[in-house]
Amino acid sequence: MTMVDIGRLISLIFIGGGLLWLFISGLKGKEVDRRIIFLFIFLSVATPILFPITFGEKATPVVKAVFDKVESLPEGSRVLISFDFDPAMAPEVQPMANAITRHSLTKGHKVIFMSLFATGQALLTQSLRKVVGEEFPELEECKDYVNVGFKAGNEGVLNVIVTDFKKMFPTDVNNVPYDSIEVFDGIKSCKDIDLIVSIGGGMPGVKEWVLFVGDPGNVPVAAGVAAVVAPQMYPYYPEQILGILGGVKGAAEYESELIKNYPHFAEMDTPALRMMGPQTLAHMVIMIFIVIGNVLFFVSRRKRRGK
Amino acid sequence: MRNKLLLILCLLLVLGGAPTWAQEIDPLDTTAAVDSVALSSPAPVSMVQAKDKGNDHGHAVVISWELSADDSYGDKSVIQYEVFLWKPFLYDTIQTLRDRVGTAKAHLIAHDDDSRDWKKEFRRAQKEFDEIMKGLTEAHAAYPEGGEFVNVGKVPCGENSFKHIGSKGNESGTYLPDYTDFYYRVDAVTANSEIRSQSEIIGPVQCYGQWFNTGRNPVLAAVLIFGFLTLFFVKRARKGSKLYVRPIGGIEAVDDAIGRATEMGRPILYVMGLGTAADVATIASFTILGRVAKQVAEYQTQLIVPTYDPIVMSVGQEVVKSSYMDAGRADAYDKDIVFFVTQSQFAYVAAVNGIMLRDRPATCIYMGKFFAESLLLAETGSMAGSIQISGTDEVAQIPFFIVACDYTLIGEELYAASAYLGREPVLLGSLKAQDYAKAILLIFAVLGLVAANLDFNVFTELFHVTN
Amino acid sequence: MKKAPIIIMALVTALFVLSWIFKAISFQGTEEHFILSGFKYTLAAFLTLAIFSFLYRDNPFYKFAEHLFVGVSAAFWMTMGFWSTIVGNLIPRVSEDLSHFFEVPYEPASRNLFYFIPVFLGILLLMRLSSKYGWLSRWPLAFIVGTTAGFNFVRYLRSDFINQISATFIPLLVDWHGIGHFFSNLSLSSVGQLVTILSNLVLFLGVFCGLIYFFFSKEHKGAFGAASRVGIWILMITFGASFGYTVMGRISLLVGRLTFLFKDWLELIS
Repeated sequence: MTMVDIGRLISLIFIGGGLLWLFISGLKGKEVDRRIIFLFIFLSVATPILFPITFGEKATPVVKAVFDKVESLPEGSRVLISFDFDPAMAPEVQPMANAITRHSLTKGHKVIFMSLFATGQALLTQSLRKVVGEEFPELEECKDYVNVGFKAGNEGVLNVIVTDFKKMFPTDVNNVPYDSIEVFDGIKSCKDIDLIVSIGGGMPGVKEWVLFVGDPGNVPVAAGVAAVVAPQMYPYYPEQILGILGGVKGAAEYESELIKNYPHFAEMDTPALRMMGPQTLAHMVIMIFIVIGNVLFFVSRRKRRGK
Repeated sequence: MRNKLLLILCLLLVLGGAPTWAQEIDPLDTTAAVDSVALSSPAPVSMVQAKDKGNDHGHAVVISWELSADDSYGDKSVIQYEVFLWKPFLYDTIQTLRDRVGTAKAHLIAHDDDSRDWKKEFRRAQKEFDEIMKGLTEAHAAYPEGGEFVNVGKVPCGENSFKHIGSKGNESGTYLPDYTDFYYRVDAVTANSEIRSQSEIIGPVQCYGQWFNTGRNPVLAAVLIFGFLTLFFVKRARKGSKLYVRPIGGIEAVDDAIGRATEMGRPILYVMGLGTAADVATIASFTILGRVAKQVAEYQTQLIVPTYDPIVMSVGQEVVKSSYMDAGRADAYDKDIVFFVTQSQFAYVAAVNGIMLRDRPATCIYMGKFFAESLLLAETGSMAGSIQISGTDEVAQIPFFIVACDYTLIGEELYAASAYLGREPVLLGSLKAQDYAKAILLIFAVLGLVAANLDFNVFTELFHVTN
Repeated sequence: MKKAPIIIMALVTALFVLSWIFKAISFQGTEEHFILSGFKYTLAAFLTLAIFSFLYRDNPFYKFAEHLFVGVSAAFWMTMGFWSTIVGNLIPRVSEDLSHFFEVPYEPASRNLFYFIPVFLGILLLMRLSSKYGWLSRWPLAFIVGTTAGFNFVRYLRSDFINQISATFIPLLVDWHGIGHFFSNLSLSSVGQLVTILSNLVLFLGVFCGLIYFFFSKEHKGAFGAASRVGIWILMITFGASFGYTVMGRISLLVGRLTFLFKDWLELIS
């Protein structure tokens, strides 16, 4: 038994014992301070981070549809990845953006990176440095991929680029003129792009891409969204959005599919798969809270009726 | 790989061909030429037609034909069709000038060569270019003098049409001018690209833009139907027709909650959310606030309305004031009932939560646009022991209100509640129009379901919007 | 002033400085500037913990972090708007000299006087700052509201209405070859016939009953009331799913922050 196993065991015993104590004190009619609940959530999240617990993931059809689309596009296809998120959403959706970037570049697609969030541009640069810079050093900017950065205007930006990309993005972030960028050869508007992947969760985001580009331009749109908005995206699947990566679970499924098809990616960073350990434990603790809460509710109701 | 392809092709040719071969070999891969196999000219395509591609801004022509008799089978196998456009030699001059303009522009942008006046050069080249472009239509009309056929695209065997989509701007090499006579030809090409058959020449054909995109007719129909329904019901409401709106649970509860606050002698807290005065949810909230304020004035209960937006505060003050006047209690009105807190989301939440914990309102009403603060507010209200009634059109926040409040108006119920309470003709009319639109939608959904189950595609195609 | 806040403030300051020193030491020998990097990581950790401290109760550290966040993000949006829209899109199309000044490629071919219309509307919008001419800002606002409403109306009608209606035109008996075939191939696979049939049925009934719940012109009684009740059940299940997803999202954010604290700041994990 390693130190990690011992740490994991002690933490689990501590959490389990704590929950039991909570249940017993609840039965005795004691009120539990909300800060104790926060403490349990902290422990259930921190334990698998410090002492990793990992789970296998299998891609569901809704995630696999995105993977298969990227996989089936011929080499040299143009894929647009839009980083429509800010740091507040980043832990959830940036793993998706990184995984799809890796996949697209491995397949030899020409990738256009952009952002509809001002704060998304910094995260986009971070991803480019981490994924493209470290894992694909042989790729050349403007030839194999291009970063056009952020543009203010929300859906107004989309409304323009659906007919004329250059009008809104006359240069990339490094002021290289549009006509000199090889990736844009033959691309006049979003209609000439083979796949659009919008990663986000706020406004503007996936919905705006569907409304202003996907539907009017007849361009396939794939979505990677924060869990909060995932249920709202399902009505668009599969007609208007070809696939959805919902929250960190969707990202983990995509990462696992990537590793399954390209085993060398197992060596790379897979944050979403790592996050599934804390997620699972935290969800279990929350479910136990719900059960304890309901049991105590019915017990106290019975007691009241008895009186 | 090359040898393998050759072998497959030879086998197919010997065996008389199989329809599946096109899937195994890239039909556009003309490099797989089979010089060793004697191929004779295939049958040409027939019935070639060229017409403007409709529903666009012009600059595009659709060429269609009937497949060659040797399409993808037989020993004259046609593996692809190549489309040719007759272009006058003037295009060579145009391209030279285009390059000159491009070079001058590149230097002008990069600012990298001071040896020449690139601005002047750019203007001169651009002027010459514009001048020569004026003669392009005439040059096309001079067919067949002074030009030649140029390949503009190809499609694999089995396909019988090609969209020649040119560029709108003449700075591009693929520019296709509108209202100009074009002549096309389609070649049926075998695996040996030398062996091909030409079709008859089709032309003249012109491309041009359309003012109206018939592919979007379903959207136009929907706009007209909605527009008509809204105007019709607003007019009816204005004329005083009685338009029925069913009672809504949450709104009925407001009256009880006000009564409860009066009995307990504790205040009522009314939160309008983070929306601006232009948001529909906030507008609906004003109407409900008016109703609450009127009852509060009658019962002489305390009302607290902290606001996030200064304009919302001004409008809110007017609404409350007129409600107090309607109730005949103008003297009891205090303009500090509605007050501004801050425009920082969480600072606003902290302030409202502070009010809840200090003043312990008997009733908390949240109506309007809410974001991440929804659960923070509703949770604190619940801890303070208040009766809570909420309503928002922010779908992501509704679950939080449902778990923490006693009554929740879900989405459109908020608008309906405001129409129900306010009886404003515009609100009532729009609500009725929406109801009828929903009824139409329900009918279409049922009909569509039947059509889809009976494979009756004519009906489902009615809803197909093209670009 | 009470002693406790002073002690807490001093303690936090001392911890901050200590963390800065340790982080700076750990960055020595790397490509990054060690003092600056040490400060960056310590500040990020401090702000994370300051926000977390709200879970205990409201306090000055939380307020400081919150106000800093609001101020910085507002300034960031404004700066990005200026550089990407005014410098990036407008200047290259209207002035060669300004393009050279801001070092952006001048676009001679795109030069068009129409670009001065948004400039004019933008200036009118700024009139809001003047108490005398503030009313002028209503014109560009009216333009924005009008065009946005127009654009959205058509787009929503198409994507959220017409396309959504046609998405409900689905066969209820998918791949149907008779009862015998159905039972002999019965499977619980998510792409199997049974699940697809059930999904289509739930989809249709969900749309149908959900719409009936939001029908306000008729009292919800009898069969109409029953359909409406089914509608509200379906809505509640949707909200439940949404809530579950939100929990997952929030936990992900917590994992993100704790990973930063344990990995990048405290270096407890690799």
